[in-house]
Amino acid sequence: MDKQATREDLIAALANDLTPVQRVKPSQGAALIAFATLVAGASCIAIFEFWTGMLTGGASAFYWITNGLLLLLGASSTSALIAGALPRVGARGAAPYWSAAMLSVVPIAAIITVISLEANHDHSSGVPSVLADPLTWYWECGAYGTAAGFVIALAAVMFLRRGAPVSLERSGWLTGLAAGSLGALAYNITCPLDTVAHVGIWHTVPVLVWAVIGRFAVPPLIRW
Amino acid sequence: MVADEPTFARLMAAAQDGDKAAANVLLSEVGLWLERYFRRRVPPHQIDDLVQEVLIAFYTKRATWDPKRPFLPWLAAIARYRWVDHLRKVYKHDGKELMEDDAVEDSDEEVVMARVSLDRLLGQLPDKQARVIEMVKITGLSIREAAEKTGQSESLVKVNIHRGLKKLATMVEEVD
Repeated sequence: MDKQATREDLIAALANDLTPVQRVKPSQGAALIAFATLVAGASCIAIFEFWTGMLTGGASAFYWITNGLLLLLGASSTSALIAGALPRVGARGAAPYWSAAMLSVVPIAAIITVISLEANHDHSSGVPSVLADPLTWYWECGAYGTAAGFVIALAAVMFLRRGAPVSLERSGWLTGLAAGSLGALAYNITCPLDTVAHVGIWHTVPVLVWAVIGRFAVPPLIRW
Repeated sequence: MVADEPTFARLMAAAQDGDKAAANVLLSEVGLWLERYFRRRVPPHQIDDLVQEVLIAFYTKRATWDPKRPFLPWLAAIARYRWVDHLRKVYKHDGKELMEDDAVEDSDEEVVMARVSLDRLLGQLPDKQARVIEMVKITGLSIREAAEKTGQSESLVKVNIHRGLKKLATMVEEVD
């Protein structure tokens, strides 16, 4: 709408054009992102098949811990993202960042494990080292998880555009954290590779990738 | 007198439901509230433009207010968002000017940070940055004069102004 010559003219024009509006509700954002996660998960299952090993005791504890932390990060970042889509002032919670910090323990633990195993490996034993294990380098899982995150990012951006986020950078980070964690989770339920090195690195890397994408790509999309 | 919270909330709920008369009163009252909000944040000649800009944003995003939540913090968040956007635009303009040697002589009128709660904000900057911003952007000294008074080189004065203004913009953005 063009800027009017005077404020009175503007007000009269705005009031005259007024139509009833459907209120934007946080529950709509939660439902949209949950639905996007289900779509991403169903798509991954359709493409890669569900890994039944997790239900028959085949999954390692590390697998469950990693997916649990991804779920928590997804929930906390989605919740903060939705709250930030509606204008408000006051303190903002740091829960998503603490959740991300907790998740970062997983790849750090994986890297330390790889380094320590490699350092103590007896190369003359004939047993392949952890670095020689192809699972350690199976990066495709990171790519699939990142691709699945796109569906969640799309849903988050759609909701943010309906809302009125007043902190664009924060919304960008949160979109990235939600897309990365929920996208990774959606793919991970299909992946039977559950070694510490593989899960710790390739099942969490989508969070890092999406956090960076979200920070830089999302703010221009949600500016209003 | 500007309307109080319950009046604003009642008018806003009616406006969301499409009541044009309520919207008219609401927009006028919001305009007065914004005028007061911006009085200490931007120079007088920019207030009306900014108020109109926020009124349009307010109108466009009226669906994002939840009647279960207070109205004024919601309005304040929108006003602050638009204000920061306004600062960013003016700051970008000023930053461009500052990097041009011949533009700094008369740029004091255009600098955004000299207009905004400066005493409090300047106190949070390193002394060398605060001093040159005050001299060049508020008092109106030239870069050369500020360099002579502070003993900094002219380039250093420019760098300190640039960095100081950038920090100020960040501080303003971080304020909730």
